[in-house]
Amino acid sequence: MFSFLIHRLMILIPTFIGVTLAAFAFIRVIPGDPILVMAGERGITPERHAEMMTAFGFDKPIWEQYFSYIWQLLQGDLGTSIVTKQPVLEEFAALFPATIELSICALIVATVIGIPAGIIAAVKRGSFFDHSLMTLSLTGFSMPIFWWALLLIVFFSGFLGWTPVSGRISVMFYFDSVTGFMLIDSWLSGEEGAFKSALSHLILPSIALGTIPMAVFARQTRSAMLEILNEDFIKTARAKGLSNFRVIVVHAFRNALIPVITVIGLSVGVLLAGAILTETIFSWPGIGKWMVDSIFRRDYPVVQGGLILIAGIVMIINLTVDLCYGLIDPRIRNKR
Amino acid sequence: MSTETLNYSRDRSALAVVLSDFWHEFKQNHGALAGLVVMGLVVLMAVFADVIAPHSPIEQYRTAMLVPPVWQDGGSWEFILGTDSVGRDLLSRLIHGSRYSLYIGLIVIFISLTVGVMLGLLAAFFKGFVENLIMRAMDIILAFPSLLLALALVAILGPSLENAMVAIAVVLIPHFVRITRAQAIAELGKDYVAASQTMGAGVGRLMFINVLPNCMAPLIVQATLSFSTAILDAAALGFLGMGAQPPTPEWGSMLAVAREFILTASWLVTLPGLAILITVLSINLIGDGLRDALDPKMKRGKA
Repeated sequence: MFSFLIHRLMILIPTFIGVTLAAFAFIRVIPGDPILVMAGERGITPERHAEMMTAFGFDKPIWEQYFSYIWQLLQGDLGTSIVTKQPVLEEFAALFPATIELSICALIVATVIGIPAGIIAAVKRGSFFDHSLMTLSLTGFSMPIFWWALLLIVFFSGFLGWTPVSGRISVMFYFDSVTGFMLIDSWLSGEEGAFKSALSHLILPSIALGTIPMAVFARQTRSAMLEILNEDFIKTARAKGLSNFRVIVVHAFRNALIPVITVIGLSVGVLLAGAILTETIFSWPGIGKWMVDSIFRRDYPVVQGGLILIAGIVMIINLTVDLCYGLIDPRIRNKR
Repeated sequence: MSTETLNYSRDRSALAVVLSDFWHEFKQNHGALAGLVVMGLVVLMAVFADVIAPHSPIEQYRTAMLVPPVWQDGGSWEFILGTDSVGRDLLSRLIHGSRYSLYIGLIVIFISLTVGVMLGLLAAFFKGFVENLIMRAMDIILAFPSLLLALALVAILGPSLENAMVAIAVVLIPHFVRITRAQAIAELGKDYVAASQTMGAGVGRLMFINVLPNCMAPLIVQATLSFSTAILDAAALGFLGMGAQPPTPEWGSMLAVAREFILTASWLVTLPGLAILITVLSINLIGDGLRDALDPKMKRGKA
């Protein structure tokens, strides 16, 4: 197991260095003057221009710029936002819990509905339920999620008036952030109705963000289950007289877990990409909206730092998924 | 001469057998057939957009702003699906929008397939440094969430439809590289490649004439699925204002403009999104059918 971990890290580290190089090159490959590009249509005075050139170190040779950038990165300094003058890392840390909270809820929605639906479809293969589920799941998979989010708003917020349209909690509640997770904080605050308000703000974005993973989980669970249900050991288990439920859940589903965990792990990247659209539409103050806003404000230090942080997180999660397989299936960890 | 003809006709019939086998498998899948029919209609709509569309997609009828669709109160047959906030006919814009979606899909697939296959073959044939360089570069691209990377690339290149297509193509390349490389490495271990090599075939011949044709099946499936991803991502970029720019009748950017009328003129939101969904769904149905028909592993699973 240990050598497996080392082997994975050996691949991960050069990739991460490549990621920093890519994010570093980001501003510098723009044809023309990066400061002028950042200033955009606002324009810039020559004095301010010279000041900015020094501040970003654009007047130094490129390799020197990269090394000082890496040196700062190693010290946890990802630069400072041009717009808010706040350190990028601090902004990220303040907004990240909102994205985690949304992603976890989306993942819960996707898992709780997608996996049982996939199991039932596989067991009742060829039935009406199976066909409708596969059609629905392909539709969910093909859904432009920004449009789906708008439809949810039209129906649940506009037509039924059940849920709020944007934000994380109603403005009438104010309490200090303890964990950064609004559901937990509102619970801890003890204010009446705060938890309910936080929950109602979370429902639509979670459904919107969870739809594509849900569709993928349902399909993947179904096909993994179909493969396992044909195996001899399932026939043995049935022949032993085990109950249908026990055969399906304990024997079959446990063996179908590896492909299912793979897609759950892989969906983290999908969730982060989806968070960009979902957070923008629901004005959810997380890192997806933060990145989009920064790109529009031409706040390049934030874009650069954000790219590195997000790529780092995706890589760590992928590594964790790999290690999980190693734990579940010894054949994988012993394979070179 | 007679042997030449014989060989030729035998090759022809071999290809015909493969194709008819494929068609036999493909038509078993009713969903895929339905997808093919819908996609055919979308293509016809795009080709004959100028003839079918009742109005110009960018002409503004100042006397008919925000007219609802014909089935709602106040709708008229002149503007069957209603008009937008500056009085442009929605139906005509949707019809012309199909051109952009297909155009985006085709260009993106062309770029990412060509570049991806080239890099994948290079990685398979030149093990060691070249392979490592290519595969690590692909790992780096895959480390970023695709839409975020595309968004950042467009921000650098400047928001336009062309730049959005380039950005999406870049994001899709790694999938083609990985598939081509894995498939090519498997083929390289086979006897026919060794035989061809012994007969003095050069690297170029081995790559394109011997190995590549045998890598096609998974590449075709991936290209189909990427086609739908390209349409979705381009629409998302258009929606965020980083893709096609107004007044281009691109479905995603139409949704972006319609957002502020979401509660007052819901047809402006529902219909372009429905157009995207139907197109993407039919491509995905075709992709599923192709995979089932082309993937020998799936066939065995069925039997």
